[in-house]
Amino acid sequence: MPEIRTAFHQELEDMERTLLGVADQAEQMVQKAVEAFTTGRLDLADEVIVADESIDETYIEIHNRWMQLMARQQPLASDLRLMSMLLHVNTTLERMGDQTVNIAKLTRATDGLPRVDAIVERIQEMGDLVRAMIRTGIEAVVRRDADEARLLPAMDEPVDRLNRDMYQEVVKVGNDPRQLEWATKAMMVARALERVGDQVVDIGEQLVFLLTGERVEFNEVGLGGLPQRE
Amino acid sequence: MVNPTPSGQTTSETMDRTHTEAATRSAAPVDATVVDTVMRIEDLDVYYGDFLAVKDVDLPFARHEITALIGPSGCGKSTVLRCLNRMNDLIPNARVEGKVFFNDRNIYDPDVDPVEVRRRVGMVFQKPNPFPKSIYENVAWGARINGFKGKRGEMDDLVERALRQAALWDEVKDKLHESGYSLSGGQQQRLCIARALAPNPEVLLMDEPASALDPIATLRIEELMLSLKNEYTIIIVTHNMQQAGRVSDRTAFFSVDVDERGQRTGKLVEFDFTDKLFTSPSQKETEDYITGRFG
Repeated sequence: MPEIRTAFHQELEDMERTLLGVADQAEQMVQKAVEAFTTGRLDLADEVIVADESIDETYIEIHNRWMQLMARQQPLASDLRLMSMLLHVNTTLERMGDQTVNIAKLTRATDGLPRVDAIVERIQEMGDLVRAMIRTGIEAVVRRDADEARLLPAMDEPVDRLNRDMYQEVVKVGNDPRQLEWATKAMMVARALERVGDQVVDIGEQLVFLLTGERVEFNEVGLGGLPQRE
Repeated sequence: MVNPTPSGQTTSETMDRTHTEAATRSAAPVDATVVDTVMRIEDLDVYYGDFLAVKDVDLPFARHEITALIGPSGCGKSTVLRCLNRMNDLIPNARVEGKVFFNDRNIYDPDVDPVEVRRRVGMVFQKPNPFPKSIYENVAWGARINGFKGKRGEMDDLVERALRQAALWDEVKDKLHESGYSLSGGQQQRLCIARALAPNPEVLLMDEPASALDPIATLRIEELMLSLKNEYTIIIVTHNMQQAGRVSDRTAFFSVDVDERGQRTGKLVEFDFTDKLFTSPSQKETEDYITGRFG
């Protein structure tokens, strides 16, 4: 049977492609933000802040196109579920960009402070894990692969653990107030990266909804990034 | 169209709903199983001569709900609708096999009076078709044709009640004796709904009731349907999926099979809550149709 809503479906595909581009950009921003914070490079921090402006613009553009499609096309079934996913992912990516901006601002706020190697390594590891999650999320969406989406919560576990344990690393820092100030800011960076991990898991949930019509909750409520009492 | 002979008492009694059914009706159904069916189609095939127009339909209709029948042209949805009050009897060569239960009585049993069926299961058509009579007479006819022999005052009350239910009273109360044709298209259609309600049916069949109306008149009809479902069961055929989405509780999607000789036969593909069918249909054929991936 011939396709009879080509223009509408092309617009849907185009919106999805745009959002995948934003996800790609978000991954690069995570990389830059982590590098900026762990090396103290303010130029990279500035690049992250500038890049976020374009994410914010795309967010508004996608939202407008989404409203127009809803008003004019009244999508149904898998089209409707895709619309739902696009709206959700659009918001999620915008917030992801905001988290990288938080890290960039923390880089500025810690300019000149002495860094702690053990914590730098942890932040770098978290950054690598989160970026791998973003790439997996993008792949899962492109391939329409629910199984790949279901890998995301497991990938998010070490991110959560590293964030939870960051507190212990800060305790080890000792009494140097300048190092302590950097280390407490590093805890906030870890928290931002942990949030990005959760946001990617969220995209995975959206994909499963698109593919199956089933609502799934990958993240266990109340756990995740919250510090746990030993 | 309809034989004015007063109906047989037996038919009327056996088609009455039972109290137990009414009592077990669930306020919020939890799955697509219809708990309290007012009508039920079983193993229905409809032929026009040798031509099999619709096959193998099994479909329940829940009391006090709106059920939409949707699908492409030629899928048999209007044919199925007409089976529900034996309107197909009036089409030469039409033959119905299978059963159509109305309150547990098969309306195709030989001793059932089709006129009584049509009193209990009213119908509204695509194009407003008022009679060339006054607004009052259009509605009163609906009652008289079914043996209403009340006094003048009683008839006045009945006409007013039907016009109020059809959300037309305020617009016509000062010109009840003007011609039905003096009304706008949307008003004429509501007049036809009032006429269908006058005999106090249990079920109202609507065949594309708004397709000849402008968008505002269409929305009025839809609002009217929603207000009527507390007292009636409504079954609507519509080409407009958004309309099905706006008004119906459940939707039946029909499609067409084409055999090797090119003969097209309608069939029921999927029946579910409208929410479910329009967001996550279980059949690919439904998905393809409602997302426009089907020509």
